[in-house]
Amino acid sequence: MSVAKPLPHDAARLHVTGSARYVDDIPTPAGCLHLAFGLAEIASGTIARIDLDQTRSAPGVVGVWCAKDLPTDCDCSPSAHDEPLLSDDSIHYLGQPVFLVAATSHLAARKAVALASITYEERKPILSIDEALEAGSHFEEGPRIWQKGDAEQAIQSAPHRLDGEIEIGGQEHFYLEGQAALAVPQEGGDMLVHSSTQHPTEIQHKVAHALDIPMHAVRVETRRMGGGFGGKESQGNALAIACAVVALQTGKPAKMRYDRDDDFMVTGKRHDFRIHYSAGFDAKGRLQGLAFTQYARCGWAQDLSLPVADRAMLHATNAYFVPNVRIESHRLKTNTQSATAFRGFGGPQGMLGMERVMDHVAHHLDLDPTAVRQANYFGSDQNAVPAAVQTTPYGQPVEEFALGEMTKALIESSDFKARQDAVRAWNETQPVLKKGLALTPVMFGISFTLTHLNQAGALVHVYQDGSIHLNHGGTEMGQGLFQKVAQVAASRFGVGLETIKITATDTAKVPNTSATAASSGSDLNGMAVLAACDTIRNRMADHLAQLWQVPSDKIAFGDTSVTDGNRTISFAEAAKLCYEGRISLSSTGFYRTPKLEWDRLRGQGRPFFYFAYGVSASEVVVDTLSGEYRILRADILHDCGASLNPALDIGQIEGGFVQGAGWLTTEELVWDDKGRLRTHAPSTYKIPACSDRPDVFNVALWDGANQEDTIYRSKAVGEPPFMHGISVLMALSDAVASCGRGYPDLNAPATPERVLAAVRRVQNEL
Amino acid sequence: MYSFDMESPSTVADAAKALGQDEAQALGGGQTLIPTLKQRLASPSVLVSLAGIAEMKGVCTADDGSLAIGGGTTHATVAAEAGAYAALAALAGNIGDPAVRNRGTIGGSLANNDPSACYPSAALGSGATIVTNKREIAADDYFQGMFATALDEGEIITEVRFPVPEKASYMKFEQPASRFALVGVFVAKYADGVRVAVTGASEEGVYRWSEAEAALSANFSADAVPAAPSGDGMISDLHASGDYRAHLVGVMTKRAVAAAS
Repeated sequence: MSVAKPLPHDAARLHVTGSARYVDDIPTPAGCLHLAFGLAEIASGTIARIDLDQTRSAPGVVGVWCAKDLPTDCDCSPSAHDEPLLSDDSIHYLGQPVFLVAATSHLAARKAVALASITYEERKPILSIDEALEAGSHFEEGPRIWQKGDAEQAIQSAPHRLDGEIEIGGQEHFYLEGQAALAVPQEGGDMLVHSSTQHPTEIQHKVAHALDIPMHAVRVETRRMGGGFGGKESQGNALAIACAVVALQTGKPAKMRYDRDDDFMVTGKRHDFRIHYSAGFDAKGRLQGLAFTQYARCGWAQDLSLPVADRAMLHATNAYFVPNVRIESHRLKTNTQSATAFRGFGGPQGMLGMERVMDHVAHHLDLDPTAVRQANYFGSDQNAVPAAVQTTPYGQPVEEFALGEMTKALIESSDFKARQDAVRAWNETQPVLKKGLALTPVMFGISFTLTHLNQAGALVHVYQDGSIHLNHGGTEMGQGLFQKVAQVAASRFGVGLETIKITATDTAKVPNTSATAASSGSDLNGMAVLAACDTIRNRMADHLAQLWQVPSDKIAFGDTSVTDGNRTISFAEAAKLCYEGRISLSSTGFYRTPKLEWDRLRGQGRPFFYFAYGVSASEVVVDTLSGEYRILRADILHDCGASLNPALDIGQIEGGFVQGAGWLTTEELVWDDKGRLRTHAPSTYKIPACSDRPDVFNVALWDGANQEDTIYRSKAVGEPPFMHGISVLMALSDAVASCGRGYPDLNAPATPERVLAAVRRVQNEL
Repeated sequence: MYSFDMESPSTVADAAKALGQDEAQALGGGQTLIPTLKQRLASPSVLVSLAGIAEMKGVCTADDGSLAIGGGTTHATVAAEAGAYAALAALAGNIGDPAVRNRGTIGGSLANNDPSACYPSAALGSGATIVTNKREIAADDYFQGMFATALDEGEIITEVRFPVPEKASYMKFEQPASRFALVGVFVAKYADGVRVAVTGASEEGVYRWSEAEAALSANFSADAVPAAPSGDGMISDLHASGDYRAHLVGVMTKRAVAAAS
């Protein structure tokens, strides 16, 4: 059976030889036009005068569009219908598309854009969290508040209490392949769109809306993305719509890809957060009451900010049982790029707030932070409430909790205690270089919190030669989803992977799909494919049973053959027999996640099918003279249930950790006081490279099957490992704390300058 | 990029003549100038490439024992061939990335005098002589603030002569994304005293930290490095505050002294 085998990515060979085809590699039909947006140069105000004469007459220009030239408002929003493709004369952020140029080449379009002359009436932009709060600039009617018990009373009556605050920076997705789309007009006004998107159905829906045609007239195809990370969940809409409008109006194919600088300036990023906390706890650090106020900077449009901020609330207590909790969430509207989905979808920010509390409480009581974490775990035997009835702040019972055992196992396997002693001894003797070691857990809820998104479809054909065509609604962004799903199909039919053709995601094959997001790709699509395969397999078994005069349950599939125990024929022969017997060898499959029930306004219910767990320990060394640091070692134990593919899963865990560490260390987004993003290229914005991974990097999978009935009892792996990066920030905090008595109070990203400032604070507090 | 004509002379004399034309601009390795042109921040009518002038390339030891480097010599070549001045070779070998090192030239870097470039600190820290097609300029007279030098219009750096010190080291705190110096300090110990040149930090471009020079001339040890300078006049930008840069001047100087060999 191919499931559970550590097989390489199905396109690995294509990736490394450069022959994997991305949208920009698709040979375009003759006469293809190339598009570029003209972007707003101010963050807030209105357009006073716009002169595009020179742009129109520039070499190669075929057409120029402003909002009034579009067939509809061409809304690009995935949620609130508040993102017109082009400015309606009001400007909401610096980088907002104002006009659209179609030209005979990418370069000609970009050159023509530069010839535009626009004057503005500027307003003072709302840029920061403080400015938004002062102006009362919120999404929704105001802050959302979820509560369990009486947090305020519990905090007041606790033996110990503290308050604190952490600033958490945003993050640019920095997918290797930038945003791209290609629209090819079809007969009768239909449209074919190739899009680098995690959400082909959304592209289809938004293009259909823009062109005012039914969804059946739009077909969207996505073979693969060169990275998505959530940045292609909604941010591809603008390009696809622009291409489709131009293609419809000119009758020519139209292609658009953002230059990297434009990609930074136009598209949304991870939400930056400020989280204020008040904690009440006992002498062992066990939390009795906890109150968070989360401030999320959402940018100019709603996009996915509400569910992102919800997920930050849902992960605000991470893996810990807290009897009394109050979480207040402000979704602030600012004149910046519209913050969007990014791996973890708000979960990392919420979780970091909690890990910060753990670190702060341990420091306050002078206890080992790991012990404080363990004392607060769900199911911890020190807790008064029995494990079985412990619930999250939103009322979901924690029926399975692996972290107690996993933490013990990682402490053992990483030699954590001995290394903690070694770090302490080092710090006592070394005046300049200080080491830090920290262990942090991850408990991440799996399912879309918008319950109806938890569905998926698949389409499977078995051809008469026994080869199999596989299609499902998930998209491939490098994570290896297609390989995992193909392994499922191969296992169901008992054939090798070479028998399975993996095909591009296509809205004409599987309709009404959800984004490949929320880590749900293999959970949902794997099950849908399983259902389709089993339908066909059962039909084949029934037919062969009839031919061979045996009961259906005697027919077994395996080793690329089919047998009833006496006779054995190849799978291909079986397919041929079924074809000749007029058996349908094609089926759809469908899956909906069970058990979900969620009331987001009350913040109560079961939003998640299950939780994915992980624990990581990072060791760092800090130069206390300059604030520079290195990650020396990271050990990760991660729960993928019964892994569908350990090689791909470990790859996701390694990449997630490095990306998470980058978020909290080197990746710094800087806007100036005009609202201009100043870090908009790799020359100013630093993502971690392969060489930035720790020299010692041990990743292991926790051996265990999912308690819930998921695809082969596996667990989702896309987002959860990202949050292992939190252990790096906490290790930095540990190292800095060794410099004196004060609490490091480190904000993220912890650049060397911030680390040095923290060292100074800690040293100065005697 | 605006349109321009291109000339590729093969001698310094021809290059000087070509640079006499209106709006002519010399082109070294193009690592700064080409991006500048692409951004339309410069609009020369003629670019005069110095890449084909053999007499401006190479590394050798001059009669007086100093290390002479042709103005058209790439960083990669300096890294490989300036072994007689190891600190300088190491500096050249850590500029930017391989593409920059294989195209960029020492003459181009010094003529541009970017406030965050590495080479100006080596030239100033070594008391180098900037040789042009017209004259010889002492490094102390050459650097005149951010992007400003003593070069006249059309003047070409043909050679740079570095007196080889007893000990030297360059320490760079990299801005991690671009690998430019957030702060870089070049320390060189000569028989007649120590020179300390700082790049990346000051709004005035590369400068000599005279307090450190005096202290280190008396006692060449990391402990002798004085307290870091004040943050006034230091560059504050998206990558670091002036105060942090000032602090790093002290740290990098100590590291350079400790590593000097």
